[in-house]
Amino acid sequence: MAGTFEYRQAREITGAFERHHVKFLFIGKSGAIILGYPDTTQDADLFVEKTPENGRAIVAALVELAFRLSDQDRRDVEAGKDFVQLRDGPFDLDLVFAPDGIETFSEAARRAVVVEGMPVCHPDDIIRSKEATGRVKDRESLPRLRAFRDWWAQRQKA
Amino acid sequence: MEEPVKQEWIRDFEAAARRTLEERMRYAFVRTHKPVMDDAPFRAFATTAEYRRWCEEHLPSWLGYGRNV
Repeated sequence: MAGTFEYRQAREITGAFERHHVKFLFIGKSGAIILGYPDTTQDADLFVEKTPENGRAIVAALVELAFRLSDQDRRDVEAGKDFVQLRDGPFDLDLVFAPDGIETFSEAARRAVVVEGMPVCHPDDIIRSKEATGRVKDRESLPRLRAFRDWWAQRQKA
Repeated sequence: MEEPVKQEWIRDFEAAARRTLEERMRYAFVRTHKPVMDDAPFRAFATTAEYRRWCEEHLPSWLGYGRNV
């Protein structure tokens, strides 16, 4: 079983993905946590741009990070399958090429927030994607997440 | 949302803001085994809809990945 995701690994993802010119954003609850949202989660979720170049760059970065990928796994990532779960590496990681509720990567990237060098989806996008899933766990977390978004936006203005 | 609950959340947000990102992440990321979900080294779904359907059909409902418990 992979270890717990840590700050050091968030830095390592960012470093490796930047070295390979991957276009990515932290999204989901892991993204909210980086923005300051106090809650718990297990794995990191990355919104990655769906292009062949980005797919190839992601594979190179994952190999550098010591994720074990079969030839078929590599092809799936390079093809930009909408949702990829990685459980055979130093930590658990989900790659989301097409999150619910967000039109395009470039729009989300334009609104993104950078925290200690880590690119993160804007809280509005994180909320939009959770609203669109309709999942029980997202419905339960949304009121508190919306309160955080409002509090966070006030702090940005101050 | 009731005001006392909201005020408690805001106190949580303010307390978190006084911690470093490294500390926040240490408290936020936990490791527990999610049955079925964590039992394969790799999964890829052609569409997000396919992934949602797979979650509904294969994961225990109490994990919360479906639309109903």
